[in-house]
Amino acid sequence: MSILKIDSVSKYFGGVAAVVDFSMIQDENEITGIIGPNGAGKTTVFNLITGVYSMDNGRIFFMNKDITESPAHKRTEAGISRTFQNIRLFKNLNVLDNMKVACGWKVRYSLWEEMIRLPRVIREEREIDEKARHFLEYLGLTQYTDQKPNNLPYGIQRRLELARTLIAEPKLLLLDEPAAGLNPREVVSLMGMINKLQQDYKLSIIIVEHHMELIMKICSLIHVLDFGKKIAEGKPEDIKKNELVLHAYLGDEG
Amino acid sequence: MFYLKVLEITSLYTILVLGVYLMTGLTGLFSLGQGGFVSIGAYTAAIAFMKFNLPFPVALIMAVVMGAVLGFLIGIPTLRLRRDYFLLITFGLGEMVRAALLYLSQLTGGALGMAGMPRMVGLPLILISIIFITFILYSLKRSRFGRNCVAVRDDEMAASMMGINVYAQKMKVFIISSAITAYGGALYAFNILFIEPNLFNWLESGRLIIITFVGGLNSIAGVIVASAIYYSFGEFFRFIDVWRDVLLGVVVILVVIFRPGGLFQGLELLPKKLIEKVKRERL
Repeated sequence: MSILKIDSVSKYFGGVAAVVDFSMIQDENEITGIIGPNGAGKTTVFNLITGVYSMDNGRIFFMNKDITESPAHKRTEAGISRTFQNIRLFKNLNVLDNMKVACGWKVRYSLWEEMIRLPRVIREEREIDEKARHFLEYLGLTQYTDQKPNNLPYGIQRRLELARTLIAEPKLLLLDEPAAGLNPREVVSLMGMINKLQQDYKLSIIIVEHHMELIMKICSLIHVLDFGKKIAEGKPEDIKKNELVLHAYLGDEG
Repeated sequence: MFYLKVLEITSLYTILVLGVYLMTGLTGLFSLGQGGFVSIGAYTAAIAFMKFNLPFPVALIMAVVMGAVLGFLIGIPTLRLRRDYFLLITFGLGEMVRAALLYLSQLTGGALGMAGMPRMVGLPLILISIIFITFILYSLKRSRFGRNCVAVRDDEMAASMMGINVYAQKMKVFIISSAITAYGGALYAFNILFIEPNLFNWLESGRLIIITFVGGLNSIAGVIVASAIYYSFGEFFRFIDVWRDVLLGVVVILVVIFRPGGLFQGLELLPKKLIEKVKRERL
């Protein structure tokens, strides 16, 4: 069963082609990787899936619904969550509130009820609080609950971003270079974590990453981008041997 | 008597500052047109009461509704713009309100202003209003709405990835803010008893923003304290005239350098929190 279908999508910035005619199918409960040299358009693909950019061509289907025209927040509500290449936590909210923001769209109370803080608001806020603490605990972040994200080590911030995507209970998770800036030990634990949460929450995951070991180990399918075009698609062992991929990464000498 | 007057004026301005706090403090939207909304509130209430003989409570409600509706109408085209353009356009709109009030002299009295309102608003009503508005703002601040505001202020793109409709959120903020500001204007008209188009120009709007910053972007208590100090100080030291603003300028510079989060940072003066703090320090 496919959960996400990207149908020959293109995006241009001025005259520059960021993504050209890109297609992919994401199956349910699978972990897929997107790799490619710097500037190949990997993050742009994420921005197109999540609605940060509107696409110039092509269509995107999520759970068999056409979401090409949906605004970004609607796509989140539909079940797409993401992390960011350069961490984007809300620096004026503490760790707990950063978690709560991500499930605000699930709240059932109205603005009017919120204004005068009816019991229903208090009740739901308590539920959200429990839920946020639950997910913090799940990723071992409980000790940081009341801190501001800027004061936390880099690896912890990355993990908090991950926790923040989970609280929205997504169906599709997009991880943008989750291993960037992590030391080798942290990368190993990240791999374990991704596998674990994929199984625990029945997630479909797409990972953009430069860290080849991570990609090769946990992805069942890999797409390779170069200059906005897909140059290869296949299982990790095939990608490793692919001439075009080696060429793109290493140049002629490779 | 003098002190009572000072307290009244200070409290009136505090309502205006609270309106701006939601917008500029919590959501990071800068508007130099809030003075326009004060005038709109003041004139709407005064005209409704004086020219159309509506009862005072109705006039008050009309001022609030007018503020909210105009906030909505102005928000439609402007809130999608980048924040710097929003600032410039609201500046223009505020000045337009001033020009319109001057021009529509049959209704507004033009440059002569409007006088002769009965004194319907005393200190009790102003203080109750402050308490009520503070309660609403604080309720909003500590639930979804407030979190969304801060998220939008910190990072709009990330906020939209959290399922927040950024445009709608800004719209709600702008409407509530404008309604509060217009309400403050209406109270002003029926307490000071004289209004004229030049009372609330963009400088006044700018001052409201600066006080919000000095008090602390994340603290309603801080903003109230900063506003109380500034406006009561201003009344006591009227004789030093322009030096008031020089002094404010110095304070602003000091705050920005030494306490960028504002005087109160994120602290809220809540009885519960204070008791906890005292207890912790004793241990």
